[in-house]
Amino acid sequence: MTTTTIIIAPNKTHPSFCTTAWTWGTPPIQSLIGRLLKGFGAIFRIEKPFHHNDDELSPCPASPKRRKVEVEKVVRNGKVVDILDSEEKENEDWLPPPPKISRNARILAENSTIKELRLKNKELVSFAQSTQDVLKAIEESAKQELSKSLQLSLDAAAEDNPKPPSKPCAERAKIVISIQDKDGLKQFRIYMDDKFERLFKLYADKVKLDRQTLAFRFDGDTVGPESTPAALGMEDDDLIEVHVKSTR
Amino acid sequence: MSGGIARGRLAEERKSWRKNHPHGFVAKPETLPDGTVNLMVWHCTIPGKTGTDWEGGCFPLTLNFSEDYPSKPPKCKFPQGFFHPNVYPSGTVCLSILNEDSGWRPAITVKQILVGIQDLLDQPNPADPAQTEGYHLFIQDATEYKKRVRQQAKQYPPLV
Repeated sequence: MTTTTIIIAPNKTHPSFCTTAWTWGTPPIQSLIGRLLKGFGAIFRIEKPFHHNDDELSPCPASPKRRKVEVEKVVRNGKVVDILDSEEKENEDWLPPPPKISRNARILAENSTIKELRLKNKELVSFAQSTQDVLKAIEESAKQELSKSLQLSLDAAAEDNPKPPSKPCAERAKIVISIQDKDGLKQFRIYMDDKFERLFKLYADKVKLDRQTLAFRFDGDTVGPESTPAALGMEDDDLIEVHVKSTR
Repeated sequence: MSGGIARGRLAEERKSWRKNHPHGFVAKPETLPDGTVNLMVWHCTIPGKTGTDWEGGCFPLTLNFSEDYPSKPPKCKFPQGFFHPNVYPSGTVCLSILNEDSGWRPAITVKQILVGIQDLLDQPNPADPAQTEGYHLFIQDATEYKKRVRQQAKQYPPLV
């Protein structure tokens, strides 16, 4: 059985004052120490006879509850203070009794000090509680935001997949294609994945010619009405030549 | 390596050609069987000018660029045996602007070369013959020459 002595010394110069030795194991005392340590970091310097080390903060391996205690390192007033975050919720409401420090037979003389300490303790417990609440709130909001953004990205993904074919929208790349006849150029803006059929119709309507008499060529090759600019690797302002089929 | 210069220039030529070129002309770098593009060899088509005996013909021309391009002009070849006073039996075009020692300037574009050759088709230069048959008919038998030219135009019909 390991016993750890924790010296709480409000005044560094009198280490013997209010020196108490507890044996770890009784939950109320653990909880009290946890709360005390939580708050005291700001006000008291906690002195331990051992080196700071996580192992020493859970000194009693025989007590399973002790192992639940999480240790956080927090910088307060420039000092690194270990905060014990006890998860023992069932002890949360418990009002800590005065620590049994009577063994050194100086109870009466120290009553006022103890009262003061208890007051401080209450204050600090409430302070710790409020800190916990804030942390919980932050955690909650972070979780909510995360789930929200997850939901959003899921929605976006859902939109991305099934819809595009049905909605011709800004995501579809457009291309400007020039159609050149003997008289000059006419430019048309179509989608990269539009079939040329549409472009041919646009052109034929514009020049008022029967589309069946027109032949379209890109780089010397006949452009099929089922093909698309993307399929031919076309770029903006690429030229498609139109030839009027000779009626022989 | 000067090949970088040649290829860079040819890439530019190709880019500008795609955006704008005279109607009926084709000029594209050859595509090798593995799908890669060889910028050093271009396969072109020159349409015969309308209103001339060359009209209706689409004459295939190959441009072979060297690593020294554009310091040196490309070699321009019609098919072997092409009928024209200024075309060698091999098909190579004889034109002043394509001669390194005479009219060639590095600033001459592919477009200018092709248009220059189109002009040459109907306006041969009897001062600089490259084949006997075409040359002799041109200066001795205008009717037969005309006939041969029209015949050849039909031999190279447009794709449409």
